Amino acid sequence: MDSPKEQIPVAEGVFTWPSDEPCLIGSRCETCGEHFFPRAKSCQNPDCPDKGDVKEVLLSRNGKLWSYTVQHYAPPPPYRGPVPLTIGLVELPENLKIMGQLTDCREEDLKIGMDMELVIEKLFEDEEGREVVTWKFRPAQAGKK
Amino acid sequence: MESDHVRSLPEELERKDRKTKMEKDIAVLGVGAHPWGKFKDKDFVDLAVIAANEAFKDAGMGWKDIQAMVCAETVWSGKSGLYAGQFVSRALGSTGIPAVNIQNGCASGAVALAIAAMMIKSGMCDIALAVGGDVSPEGFLPALAGEDPLSPDSLRFTAIGATNPVHWALDCRRRMEEYGTTEAHLAKVKVKNSKYGSSNPLARYRKVFTLEEVLNSAVVCYPLRLYEICATSDGGGAVILSSMEVARRYTSRPVILAAATLGNLVYGDPTVQIGSHVAYKVNSSVPMASEVVQSSRKAYEEAGIGPEELDFAELPDNSSWHELMYMEALGFCGPGEAEHLLDDGATELGGKLPINASGGFASFGEAVAAQGLLQVYEIVRQLRGAAGPRQVEGAKVGFGQVYGAQGNAGTVIVKK
Repeated sequence: MDSPKEQIPVAEGVFTWPSDEPCLIGSRCETCGEHFFPRAKSCQNPDCPDKGDVKEVLLSRNGKLWSYTVQHYAPPPPYRGPVPLTIGLVELPENLKIMGQLTDCREEDLKIGMDMELVIEKLFEDEEGREVVTWKFRPAQAGKK
Repeated sequence: MESDHVRSLPEELERKDRKTKMEKDIAVLGVGAHPWGKFKDKDFVDLAVIAANEAFKDAGMGWKDIQAMVCAETVWSGKSGLYAGQFVSRALGSTGIPAVNIQNGCASGAVALAIAAMMIKSGMCDIALAVGGDVSPEGFLPALAGEDPLSPDSLRFTAIGATNPVHWALDCRRRMEEYGTTEAHLAKVKVKNSKYGSSNPLARYRKVFTLEEVLNSAVVCYPLRLYEICATSDGGGAVILSSMEVARRYTSRPVILAAATLGNLVYGDPTVQIGSHVAYKVNSSVPMASEVVQSSRKAYEEAGIGPEELDFAELPDNSSWHELMYMEALGFCGPGEAEHLLDDGATELGGKLPINASGGFASFGEAVAAQGLLQVYEIVRQLRGAAGPRQVEGAKVGFGQVYGAQGNAGTVIVKK
């Protein structure tokens, strides 16, 4: 029987991993309330009255599909994932639309405005047989697994 | 006791007086360009030098008359490309004049021009050269080595796979949803520009496309098709600027650089920007393409005109979507109206505001460092009445706009 492959994140500190309920890691300014993704070292809002502390926050896992497209040609290195690939922007309650691959869907089923949820999924397998994982969005499933 | 950095009142008044006497008008004395294409035997220095030599001839002067140079960098040629100004200077013959290297992405050509104009306006020199040459990689523009793995420009490749056209496609599909842009509109932009490129001897692509051919071309990332996305090319451009006082020694009818302005991204811009972000605002009071809004509004102010007074414009049609969106970002029309202008023929030769009579990026492909200068070359040729079958009738005021990754922008307005 195959042992499950080790999974490593494509980049550290961008999403919680390993986790049963992974989230994207962003930042929120304590003073002006703006959110940033990926994490920010300081507030990027020029109108922030205080350039206050930014704190690490976990972003919402659910949002609405703002737009999408299917990339038919292989992106250049360092991309090592599947081709063709579907990419979308998912609008989160934090007033950010996050770019990410879309998974578990066919292009013809996608609709602007549909509910989407975050998943962490395999992007490619590396030379040591480990699964390199990244954040993706999929159509929101009724009922958790 | 007064500290050193506090100027005394008489010094302050003298400084203000000098500033008001500064040359306000800048003349475009000469322009040059190497044709766009792919040239295995030429590097970016060769392309820049050939363009510069044509500009010297056009202006009736020599390289030794140039008192300062601003050179657009290329990132595709290692360190040489970052020191582009020094490499081009050495090829022309080092005279020791100031040579500034400009890196503002695809806006570098227009930025180089703006800096050259500022050098003259400041009184630092009377004659300056803005130049750029580029040799582009084939296909999708790749990542560079040494990038921070957590930067958006890294993550877009490592974690997502978002090529440049993906960004445009995402905004374009949304535009179709919000304004009813059709696939035919996107194809029409290419058809129009290909018509003009076919009679432009500098253009790389001379084929006149039909609507069917464009609509039948492969989808790269929906809704953008192969023929609706510009290629990457090699090319070189050069522009010689001078004060009006010096210009009158060379020509009795100088063409005037009415504005050369810069702009950058504003926080909260909702556009799906390349390389600077992988997360974008949804609800925002900041307009789309804020960097372009910044540079163009300053340009209208500097030139003392509004968009309605332009006779023609060169826009950065990296894709068909750009040409439509930019018409609105630049104030040529209101939100959602670009398609109507296209359908009405307003942006064709003979229309109210011909756009990309050069053939645009569609017919040239993009040579990053040189593109902004190519636009000025075209604008000046139009103002001189030298555009042949692509001539804009009665051309008096021309407009050029480029933008670059990381939220860079440069606008030029040239008039006669």
